[in-house]
Amino acid sequence: MQVLAVQIELINHYPWLPSTKVIYSDILSEKPREFIKRLFLDYPLDEIYERVIRIFGAAFENKEEILNYKIDELNVYLYLLLKILLSIFNDNAIANRIANLYSKINYNELSIESDFVIYEICRDLELDILYYENPITYRIIIAKNQREEIKTKFTIHFTDYLNLAASMRDDFRKLVNNSLKNGEVFIQKRDLVRLLQEYVRKKVLSRQKLDKNSLEKSRQKLFKIDEFKQLHDRILLDWEKMRDDHEPLEFQWGEDFELTEIAPPCLKHVLHKASESQNLIHNERLFLVFLLHALKIPIEKIVKIFSTLPDFDRDKTLYQVNFALNKKYTPHKCDTLKSLNLCMAEKYKDELCLKGYYSIAKDEERKVNHPLTYMYVKQYRLSKTKIQDEMNKGKNE
Amino acid sequence: MSENAYLQRLFQRYYSEKREDIPKVNSFEKREFGFIPWNKQIMIRHLAFRELGDLREKLALEGPRHVYSSGTLYEEPDHLDMNQKGYNGCDLIIDIDVDHFFTPCKEHHDTWSCKECGLTGKGMPDKKCKKCGNNKFKNVAWVCDKCLEIAKQSIVRLAHDFLLPDFGIQESELNIAFSGHRGYHIKIENEKMRSLSSDGRREIADYLSGNNISYEILGFKSKSNNIYGLRRENIGWSQKIMDKIEDLLKGPSSDIEHLLEKLNFSKNKIESFKNSKDVFLHIITSKNTQNIWAIEGYSHNGWITFLNGIAKEIGIEIDEPVTIDIHRLIRYPGTLHGKTGFKVQELTLKELDFFTPLDEPKKNLDPIVFYGKNVNLKLKIIDNVIPTIKIKGETFGPYKEGDIIEVPNHVAVMLLSKEVATLL
Ligand code: SF4
Ligand SMILES: [Zn+2]
Ligand SMILES: [Zn+2]
Repeated sequence: MQVLAVQIELINHYPWLPSTKVIYSDILSEKPREFIKRLFLDYPLDEIYERVIRIFGAAFENKEEILNYKIDELNVYLYLLLKILLSIFNDNAIANRIANLYSKINYNELSIESDFVIYEICRDLELDILYYENPITYRIIIAKNQREEIKTKFTIHFTDYLNLAASMRDDFRKLVNNSLKNGEVFIQKRDLVRLLQEYVRKKVLSRQKLDKNSLEKSRQKLFKIDEFKQLHDRILLDWEKMRDDHEPLEFQWGEDFELTEIAPPCLKHVLHKASESQNLIHNERLFLVFLLHALKIPIEKIVKIFSTLPDFDRDKTLYQVNFALNKKYTPHKCDTLKSLNLCMAEKYKDELCLKGYYSIAKDEERKVNHPLTYMYVKQYRLSKTKIQDEMNKGKNE
Repeated sequence: MSENAYLQRLFQRYYSEKREDIPKVNSFEKREFGFIPWNKQIMIRHLAFRELGDLREKLALEGPRHVYSSGTLYEEPDHLDMNQKGYNGCDLIIDIDVDHFFTPCKEHHDTWSCKECGLTGKGMPDKKCKKCGNNKFKNVAWVCDKCLEIAKQSIVRLAHDFLLPDFGIQESELNIAFSGHRGYHIKIENEKMRSLSSDGRREIADYLSGNNISYEILGFKSKSNNIYGLRRENIGWSQKIMDKIEDLLKGPSSDIEHLLEKLNFSKNKIESFKNSKDVFLHIITSKNTQNIWAIEGYSHNGWITFLNGIAKEIGIEIDEPVTIDIHRLIRYPGTLHGKTGFKVQELTLKELDFFTPLDEPKKNLDPIVFYGKNVNLKLKIIDNVIPTIKIKGETFGPYKEGDIIEVPNHVAVMLLSKEVATLL
């Protein structure tokens, strides 16, 4: 018999733990279809529907928590059902919203756990964690008469740290800004829990990439189960309704072009992330605010773009946007964006960014050194082709 | 016979005589190999070998100009489709190459010429040609004992100041090699590190170079007209910076002056810093302190400039893309570098301490495998200017186009490999 590292209770609470595989090995070895069939047989339909729809509903409304979050055996089944649904929807925007919400719920739950439980969870995840009975001091802050020692009971091996923290791209989590010694990063409990949240988020997002055909096949197979099909359709309906309520992220720059037509890769990338409800790091947000503002896009619209983000809070965003704008910053230059890793010229292989353009006014080859320059050139080029088109049309008539 | 054919034959002969000198790297069969042949400037990739013998055989047969293998492990290293290779993790690679940073002596021994208009110059070329604005240059970069010493010191600091103490890496996990030309690389073979994504590797690169530090997060802040600095008690970069500052303050004033000048501080500010030297030292070292950094003329921004300058002294100038890329190929140990004819020499950290690639007394560590003191070759120089080179304690050059020279075998191989001379 396997020694159970984590108790059943913990598994019910946190079904994404690897030990789930051991305790629920029977259901995990089933085919999705068998599993779903059994689920609908074993548990009341109403309750399954209610709980699943509540999660999706909250995710679609960008909520940060859900009411009456239950920790029971069904919780494990629902987690698995959630993952099956996500792979059937095969939609990044939906998956991101669910991953954001679900990981946040888990963050809230984890935040109130004891050191011991956190340690056990990390162990179960095979994270290389050290726990110190007596907290160790690794930083000290002295400012005038204040003196603050920063201590912790946890350290984590830098590889595990980076595997979770690096993709968060947050200055506070950058390795270079943290305390590292002997391969161990000193970490506060709440930051460790934040890493666990990131783990959960990635875990929810992880799914097999199926090609169109196999996806369609497994869809058809699962849709043979009526209860499943109904649940699926209901969620989809909610999703589409929600989408209709929010107008899409289209707005005009000048009059003739859509922003997306002339946006440089760096802007496109951030807009795309926002539209898929991926989290934006602080610098991405600032970049977006300053640039959109420079384009004279009304604050209301800017806030609207932020409304799809996982941690959206209207009042907070409005305040932040206004605050940032009052400081009268100018939008970031390419050099700045490059040093912040926000330049996407290479990634998108953008000709204009990489090769530059020919300036008629200056009669020389110039490099794009500002996203606004990029848009200016792009707009000029587009307007030229439009005029050309008009002229051609004229000729034909 | 063409020069390349001649060199290829030399390489073939070397590889068949020294079969045993080609080592087997860890996870040999899981690595992708790449060769650059003599007749074309292309990389033949996606090769793999089951047995070391197969590789040795191939080298002896073809005597390629350059030989590489991947830091990456694959299920099927020879699959032509990158996505089908079956990625199995990647060793962390750190490359330190003189090409990527400034050394004073480059002004004497490196030359460039513009591919468009033919303008020539010394040292590192500007971003664009001053005459025609083009940005394509032909570089002739010379091996130089001084440059190599700087690169070597960087590797030593990298290991002793970063990899061992901070990252807790074991000395036995470091695979250090002299590249056979102008630098060194380290391949770290550590099971846990193999799982790192590119993002994670970028974080390590930043940590090693000190790029993208936030001093505010490290504890530097200005509040109600006071500036509160960093503390050496703070483990990590804060400690490194404060140790360096302490050293600087304890050293001669001229060091401070030198650094501040480099950072473009005005004469007044440099004076004011020097005058406050002892007070400042007291503030940062004493336990009983308010930690207020107050030197006349130094505002928040001034301090940030200063801290950046300090961080630059501490950080290692690594070739970042190499570290971040998880599909890179690096030179295979024991093989020959086709631009010099020198061997890619593996070294332990201890061996590195006294290693002098261009004049190495220890036979088993000597990368100059074509050493032939009494075998002279007659060559004709075909490039504009060739600077003085010091090899094996002897000085050669400078030469200019058209010179007919007679030099020992290893120097001849180097000049031919660099394509600045022809056989006579
Ligand atoms: S080059 Fe400038 S405009 Fe283009 S992607 Fe990079 S930062 Fe944006
Ligand atoms: Zn030129
Ligand atoms: Zn030099």
